[in-house]
Amino acid sequence: MKKEKLNIKAALTLATTALLGCHNLAQAEPTEKDSWEFDAAFLFYSEVDRVSAGEAIFNAKKTFEDEDVLNLKLTIDALTGASANGAVAQPTVQTFTRPSGNGQYQVEPGETPLDDTFHDTRVQLNGQWTQPVSSNLTASSGVHISKEYDYLSLGLNGNLAVDFDRKNSTFLLGFSYFQDTFTPEGGIPNPLISMLIGDRNAPTWDDDFAKTRLGSEDDKTTADILLGFTQVINRRMLMQFNYSYSTVDGYLNDPFKIVSIVDINGVTQDNIYESRPDSRVKQSLYAQSMYHFDNVVLDVSYRYMWDDWEIESHTIDSRFRIPMGDSLGKESYLQPHFRFYQQSAADFYRPFLLEENALPTFVSADYRIGEMAAFTVGLKYGMLVNDGNELAFRLEYYHQTPTDAGFEEPGVLNDVELYPTIDAVIVQVTYSF
Amino acid sequence: MRFIVQPLHFTFYIFDEIYLKKNSRTITLNKNDDGYGISFNAMASPCEVIIQSSDKQLAIKLGNIIADEVWRIEDKYSRYDKDSICSLINTRAGQSVPIDQETYLLLNFAEQCYQLSDGSFDISSGVLRKAWLFDGSDNLPSKVKVSAALKFVGWRKINFDQQQITLAKNMEIDFGGIGKEYAVDRAIILAKQLTNKPVLVNLGGDLAVTCSRLNNKNWQVAIEHPDVDSTVNHSKPADMIISLKQGALATSGDARRFLMKNGKRYGHILNAKSGWPIDNAPRSITVVAPQCIQAGILATLALLQGLDAEQFLTEQEIKFWVRR
Amino acid sequence: MKTKFKLTLLVPLIVSATGCASLGVEPWERDLLAKDEMSLNASPVDSALDDHIYFSKEASSGGKSFGGGGCGCN
Repeated sequence: MKKEKLNIKAALTLATTALLGCHNLAQAEPTEKDSWEFDAAFLFYSEVDRVSAGEAIFNAKKTFEDEDVLNLKLTIDALTGASANGAVAQPTVQTFTRPSGNGQYQVEPGETPLDDTFHDTRVQLNGQWTQPVSSNLTASSGVHISKEYDYLSLGLNGNLAVDFDRKNSTFLLGFSYFQDTFTPEGGIPNPLISMLIGDRNAPTWDDDFAKTRLGSEDDKTTADILLGFTQVINRRMLMQFNYSYSTVDGYLNDPFKIVSIVDINGVTQDNIYESRPDSRVKQSLYAQSMYHFDNVVLDVSYRYMWDDWEIESHTIDSRFRIPMGDSLGKESYLQPHFRFYQQSAADFYRPFLLEENALPTFVSADYRIGEMAAFTVGLKYGMLVNDGNELAFRLEYYHQTPTDAGFEEPGVLNDVELYPTIDAVIVQVTYSF
Repeated sequence: MRFIVQPLHFTFYIFDEIYLKKNSRTITLNKNDDGYGISFNAMASPCEVIIQSSDKQLAIKLGNIIADEVWRIEDKYSRYDKDSICSLINTRAGQSVPIDQETYLLLNFAEQCYQLSDGSFDISSGVLRKAWLFDGSDNLPSKVKVSAALKFVGWRKINFDQQQITLAKNMEIDFGGIGKEYAVDRAIILAKQLTNKPVLVNLGGDLAVTCSRLNNKNWQVAIEHPDVDSTVNHSKPADMIISLKQGALATSGDARRFLMKNGKRYGHILNAKSGWPIDNAPRSITVVAPQCIQAGILATLALLQGLDAEQFLTEQEIKFWVRR
Repeated sequence: MKTKFKLTLLVPLIVSATGCASLGVEPWERDLLAKDEMSLNASPVDSALDDHIYFSKEASSGGKSFGGGGCGCN
């Protein structure tokens, strides 16, 4: 252990920053008492040749004199572009029916089949109320509502945080519950039933299409329990450990995803709607550490997640906040970001099915539950403008590499890309006032 | 440009028996060469805020915010104000009195000072004023009287936590030794939040600046000579000019408060452990530090060193001026 | 009468606060921890936006806080 040279001036500096620093944070200024703090952010996300999304967040936070906190958040996002439908690429032109049943689209030879009809707008509202119950106990509860054209999500959450040992340790217990209803255009497809492809103008089309459908809507519920422990290690370091248990029940399919059935030559014979189990239990362990060097603040976290679909994932996320003084704007900082993600495939994930084999009960070719690795590199730049309001810019690059988990590729599938990589750019502007 | 600063010290080592009436709370705005000055009275001292900006509205806003904050702290912590939390704690000595976070932090700070000075600095030492009256006379109190008062001094007899404080019966605490310097630092925090223009806050000689003046120029602060002894021969002593780029400056000590007996001078700086004045204490000490409260405490702790004051300050590697 | 400062008294206090054996700090040592950038969720808006992106592109969610549902993107 390093013994710091101690003098009275140094000890006083510590005592002084405790007096002035903490008070500054703990108690709002007379002019700021009962006032609102706002964050406005706009994010643009764009994948090469695939979806683009714009998302705006407006967050309003009010801290009352008795330290109760009300937080209101409005999120609006719009998504447009093409998304993989799950089918494999073929050396020939392929035709698919749009999810609504009203039309078909064609995919060029060798191209990964993408459904380009995705466009959706979503509005989300969150309200959260946090209040100290006693000096060492804080309670918080919140509501969530999210609505898009074909989806409605309602949520509730509650948390209790108990502080120990001069507030150096905190236990957190939280739960949340979501009730989601999916009403996709064209209805809910019948799992494992073939996608209807043929003459859109045939008089029997509408009846035949309806036969591939189960109904107009379905729902799912999500219940989460979170146990957390936060510990101050020393003056420079703080750690958090979480365990979470999440159970999802109900309609867990993606109604827009299909699976190709190929013959021994790898030629597609049929495309069927995917079929996932109607429940999923996810668990995760999460550890995060904040470390304050002389100037730089390091934030590193690791998450291990596993579920009963046999997906396992590892996530490492790190940020270094480097203060730049007034060199790039008042009290500016640069914050490089690096994230690495790796997951194994769900046990029912298949990039395609072989015609010769019996149809499994559960199957999905959605690459998002297949084996993959991904990384994100980014840089954030923030500064103070207009007497203390923060303006920040963030630029990130996200690269996903779906990987082959050892599925044998028959015939023509050897010549096409079954695991295309995805590149996305994220740009964000945030203004806090 | 110079700013004349009168040291009017209000530390608890100066046992002022005058009941200080609240001055009428008004703010005066003056135009300077390159900015505005705002003056007001608080904590029994003339106070001023100087901003290097031609924005009159900003100056008025700044002056109001700072004066309100200083008056808020005065109302909350003055022992002369019977409605203050300080008076409440003292009148209810023997019982538990609930406190807020700000008071808790100040008490914590006082505890740190107590530990750093090994008990010589003690915000409960104010009751010694019942024994000592520094009026320039030769009325030394009796040893019995001093020991009687000393029974009610002692930080260790105080029990406090984040929610409450309990004093032993007949004890008193006094934030005078840190209150004004704390107010300067609070004022600087508020000034920085409002504007990035250079601002100086001076509360009766304890002062701090938000940053250097425009074009990286220093603030020139002139401190009036506090030694009335030298004015006996009708020659006004030269002002002490201090050039301040950033940080704060505070002065402790007051040459006018002493007793003389048998040719020996008894200064007003009392040792909270013995109840008797510190031998050979300097008349005043001025210290520069990043925060005003730090400067004030360092100056006070140095006074408590008596003859070793200069050596103590030199060891702390800080800028200081000692008058003996 | 001279007062000598007993620095020895303070050394154990500092050592116990930074030592390996005992965790945590005293309230007056929270100068660094009290900074906004040292809070575990220093940029909640960034986190919310990131969570939404990764929720819709990967099979995992939550961990730091609730995984939740909330959108039809996965």
